[in-house]
Amino acid sequence: MDSVLPTDVLFEDAARRERAKERLYVLCQSGGWLFLLGLQIVFVFALPSKTPANRDDQFLNVGIVAMVIMQGWLITHYTRPLMARWDWKALGWRALLPRILATSAVQSVVWTVIGYGYVYLVVGLPWTSKLPWFAATGLSIINGIMLLGGWLCVYFFYHLFDRLNRSEIERLRLATHVKEVELRALKSQVNPHFIFNSLNSLRALIDEDPARARQAVTQLSNLLRYSLQSGQLETVPFEDELRVVNDYLALEQVRHEERLTLRFDIDPDTLALPVPPMLLQTLVENAVKYGIATRPEGGEIAIIARRLDGALAIQVTNPGNLAAPAHAPARASSTGVGLRNAAERLRLLFGERASLQLRAEAPALVVAEALVPLHLTRA
Amino acid sequence: MKALLIDDERLARNELRRLLAAFPDIVIAGEAANAKQAREQLAALQPDLLFLDVQMPGQTGMELLESLEPPAPEVIFTTAYDEFAVKAFELNALDYLLKPVDPARLAAAVDKLRAKLNGAAGESAAEKSAARDRLAAEDKVFVREGDRCWFVEVKSIRLLESEGNYTRVHFENAQPQLFRSLNAMEERLDPKYFFRANRRQIINLSWIDKIEPWFSGGLLVHLKGGAKVELSRRQAQDFREKMSL
Repeated sequence: MDSVLPTDVLFEDAARRERAKERLYVLCQSGGWLFLLGLQIVFVFALPSKTPANRDDQFLNVGIVAMVIMQGWLITHYTRPLMARWDWKALGWRALLPRILATSAVQSVVWTVIGYGYVYLVVGLPWTSKLPWFAATGLSIINGIMLLGGWLCVYFFYHLFDRLNRSEIERLRLATHVKEVELRALKSQVNPHFIFNSLNSLRALIDEDPARARQAVTQLSNLLRYSLQSGQLETVPFEDELRVVNDYLALEQVRHEERLTLRFDIDPDTLALPVPPMLLQTLVENAVKYGIATRPEGGEIAIIARRLDGALAIQVTNPGNLAAPAHAPARASSTGVGLRNAAERLRLLFGERASLQLRAEAPALVVAEALVPLHLTRA
Repeated sequence: MKALLIDDERLARNELRRLLAAFPDIVIAGEAANAKQAREQLAALQPDLLFLDVQMPGQTGMELLESLEPPAPEVIFTTAYDEFAVKAFELNALDYLLKPVDPARLAAAVDKLRAKLNGAAGESAAEKSAARDRLAAEDKVFVREGDRCWFVEVKSIRLLESEGNYTRVHFENAQPQLFRSLNAMEERLDPKYFFRANRRQIINLSWIDKIEPWFSGGLLVHLKGGAKVELSRRQAQDFREKMSL
């Protein structure tokens, strides 16, 4: 019945966060490597060449540097999805350190082999270094390990920090959610308007029908006790809920007298099934508020419970139309909240298989139907 | 004092009847279970006082009051628990009782009412019976806008403005709409105090602050509280005649 489910909100949030991360990655990756490239070029031109006559050498060196940087860029870029697939972002420091070392070593070897191989073997430039080839490539590999290891450290440091941050947010969100649920449980208690009206009728009943008055005191006590205690329970047997709804309706009958008639059609199979406390109560209270209290002629409220395969189906019907009475906007919204809370509690407990809907059935009949799965699905 | 009890619950009416037995000067003339019955009873019994439940099937107590031809009767609201209504009452210092009704609270409300009726009795009893169709200065009009409601004394109304089938009533710091046309209101207002300034506006003469000449023989009337009202030449003539008397 809600247009935006909380899960949608979460997904959207996560998607937005992913996009922001991707932007940050592109920025850091390009920024970092371009900075390195710039630095190298400055070195090439600033260092006094030992053979100053040869300016072409400098341009050649710039070309080589650009190629090497480009390789580093690509190697790190393509390692990233691999690490994501291996789920390294979820690991701790201890597990990451050897992996960072190994990865940077492999990356560095690949980088050096491609770089040196291309320049000296494929293009065939003359070997100008004073060092023998193995020493030069060895140094290059160590250099690469430091650079790429640094890259990986920054990468994983960011993710560790992000995860820490997010788990903190998650913890806070959970805490507020728990508070919210508690608050809602409070709000789902019996409507104060009803309590005071009942007390008022009860006082009149004391003179008129003392026995019925005593009975009504008991019923009101049952209802209040149940609504106070049941907030702490996740589910109650349907039978308990039904008993309290009976008490509630008996009290409403004291108030509305012949304007309220009742019909129960309860499948005995359903009595032991678990339901969230105050679910039926909310539906019935709603039915009385719209079907009886706003109509001078009153009417019948029916409660029908059936065991379907895999679920308990509860129907509450009342006379009337779905369009909220125009003259009671404040009250309409307050029940809207009651039903919405009931729907949400149902979903929290039983997942998406549970449902709660309100529909109009001709002629002039409103049906509230709750489908309660037989088993809790929540983790 | 003739009272009418309006509440959808028979037991609630019984309870009130029992409590009111302690006040011999309040005679319960009748009972009504909803707005429709209440209107019939009001016409038949002409009660001085209503005990009115706010939440009722069909029309609420507020809606019933709003639909009644002014002046508004003396009303004591009864309600079980309704934050909105209670807030509205507090803002406007109307009398209301919370159910189950505290007998001491009921006694205080009845005392207040007696004092008010005795004070007004001298002038208005004769006046009222003489001209039931004219609103006296002390008469009250019930106005509601959303959750707020007012019993406005006729003499505190500065200005009435036509808005289609409604009339906007200016008094104190509020200007809610009344569900009546300006023409219907004009018929009920005392011409001694109220003047039809133009097609759209009626002003209360006792709220005039100053008057200045306006274009082509018209007048501009400044009301206390800041509103300005234009009078055309013809209306200005009427106005001058009336004021010179």
